[in-house]
Amino acid sequence: MADRVLKVNAFTTFDLLDGAVEGHGFEEGAFATLNVRTAREAPEEVTLELELDNTELESVPPHADRVTLSAAEAERLADELQSAADRVASAEEE
Amino acid sequence: MPSKVERWKDETYGMEIRDHLLRFAEEGWDAIPEDEHDAWFERFKWWGLYHQRKGQESYFMMRIGTPMGRMTPEQLRTVGEVAREYATGPVENPEFGDAYADFTTRQSIQLHWIKVEDIPDIWDELESVGLSTIQACGDSWRNIVGSPVAGRDADELIDVWPIVQELHETFKGNDLYANLPRKWKVAMTGDRRGSGQGDINDLAFEPATKELDGEAVAGFNVNVGGGLARKEPRFARDIDVFCRPENATDVAAGLSALFRDYGDREDRFNARIKFLVDEWGPEKVRSVLQEEYVDYELPTAGEGLRDEYDYNAGRSDSPGDYIGVHDQHDGRNFLGLYVLVGRMAAADVIELADLAEAYGSEMIGLTQRQNVIVGDVADEDLDDFLAEDLLDDYSPDPHPFLRGSIACTGTEYCSLSIVETKNRMVRYGRWLRDNVPVPEGVQDFHIHLSGCTASCAQPQIADISLRGMKTRKDGDAVEAFDVGLGGGLGENPQFADWVKMRVPADEVPGYIANLVETYEAERAGPEESFRDFVAGRDEDELAALAEAEETSYEDPYLGNTKLTWYPYAEDTSMDASPAPTDGQGEPLPSDD
Repeated sequence: MADRVLKVNAFTTFDLLDGAVEGHGFEEGAFATLNVRTAREAPEEVTLELELDNTELESVPPHADRVTLSAAEAERLADELQSAADRVASAEEE
Repeated sequence: MPSKVERWKDETYGMEIRDHLLRFAEEGWDAIPEDEHDAWFERFKWWGLYHQRKGQESYFMMRIGTPMGRMTPEQLRTVGEVAREYATGPVENPEFGDAYADFTTRQSIQLHWIKVEDIPDIWDELESVGLSTIQACGDSWRNIVGSPVAGRDADELIDVWPIVQELHETFKGNDLYANLPRKWKVAMTGDRRGSGQGDINDLAFEPATKELDGEAVAGFNVNVGGGLARKEPRFARDIDVFCRPENATDVAAGLSALFRDYGDREDRFNARIKFLVDEWGPEKVRSVLQEEYVDYELPTAGEGLRDEYDYNAGRSDSPGDYIGVHDQHDGRNFLGLYVLVGRMAAADVIELADLAEAYGSEMIGLTQRQNVIVGDVADEDLDDFLAEDLLDDYSPDPHPFLRGSIACTGTEYCSLSIVETKNRMVRYGRWLRDNVPVPEGVQDFHIHLSGCTASCAQPQIADISLRGMKTRKDGDAVEAFDVGLGGGLGENPQFADWVKMRVPADEVPGYIANLVETYEAERAGPEESFRDFVAGRDEDELAALAEAEETSYEDPYLGNTKLTWYPYAEDTSMDASPAPTDGQGEPLPSDD
């Protein structure tokens, strides 16, 4: 079977998340890794990488997904994540 | 644009780093400016020093490069004495005590808990017997690998030891090749075993013969661009060049200069020559080498010996290592002793050196399977040597599951690893020995355990490949392994197929037990090696071979050892770390 596409080491943002893949007529869950990356030198964008464990998936071939964000987009995402996290945290407190 | 590391290297790199290290040693850990740590730690690698991971600040791993793993007993004793005196940390390792040496898969030696203040004294001791830490790490010629018993092995085409010594002397401390785009790993093999494992090196000299000017010449075929790192392992590619032994230095100089000049200095992930070979193809590598870097006409490749290779080849007719008693061509013997996960207590290192000397040995060898060889034992001394107490722990006839085990450094010291490795592999090996029947005919069973997707334990070329991951068990995140099967070198090298992901670490022994049972039940016969058994099955069949399960095996490192300051401390929390410490090992006051 295919190897992982993304490398995983102590610098990986998350090495253990719950993920799912959904399409027309299929939906499967698998563990996932998620990593935030920027170039070492003069970074111009932020990259978010996601890979679900391919051994758990039958509906899609082994692969990783990647989106690139500008600094402003990354900040907006961070803001939205922060607000969402706050809502979850306060719901948990109630 | 050149990368950040390239800028640091432009400012200071190579030989001159030694003077800075001596200055820091004199002034103490605090003299290394905190905002320059990354730059200095990158540079220190060139002199064989890696800063240890978070929680262990001010401590370094020191690597000593021994070409082809070869030493004299005197040199080995010095390694043991240095380890005993300087390689001790704040907390003992529960399996290995407080001072030990690690023998690596590239035939080098690694010592841990080294303080910058001690480096000058350590260098003095090492250099007084001809050992060095120069270029043991960093972007340059690394330790040259190959058979430690070259020139002694009764089973070889060419004695490569004089050539390797020439390469070592030419390319260590040589400004022309001191600053390459990335590391440069060279293997030279002259035997029929394939023991250099050239396929996974940047530059491989493989034994070959060719008729030149009507004469049969023994020399090398040249392969380029192998390596395991990242998600894209490569076997070295045949560039259709035969090299006479007397031309090896010129060809090696040409290829490392080609890499220096054409390698990628903008993206370090892309900087290995394997990616240049991908981009150019072997034909262009050959033509650029011919046109720009060598001044004689390169012969085309000769007849290789690959069909005879058995080192780590997964063959049923031959164990793939140097363990046991072997003939030397001079009538004496060399003995391969297994060292579990390559780690040997400092006191044992010294005792082995004394023993070797007492028996008249002039050669100690470290192998790429993390084991050790003692050369030159006479027939009449063999029984006495084999009866020595030290060989109870470092056996020439170990159990197959112990014999084949390799592990990288792991979260004990390494910044990249996400799981504990060496102590766990020790426990796996012992549990397998005590609980799993060995199928008839199996002499060695290779299990390579790596702590992350870097490939320091060479996980892609083992019967069973274990690579660190995480999973969730009973609601908790626990250390786990991706599992690969059926990798190995030899005539037809093959990377492992990855068949399971995130097997909880405490269920791996159960998985291996079930797998071995299936292999024994379903193989065609003892002549079908495990590797052949795997090669004959498709993905679905491989995934279904065995299930993971809990057994009587207990795993004390199941939690997240990456988050500890040291996995075996009584209080493992980062706050409990004594680091950084001064030259006496006393905690330094914090700035906070």
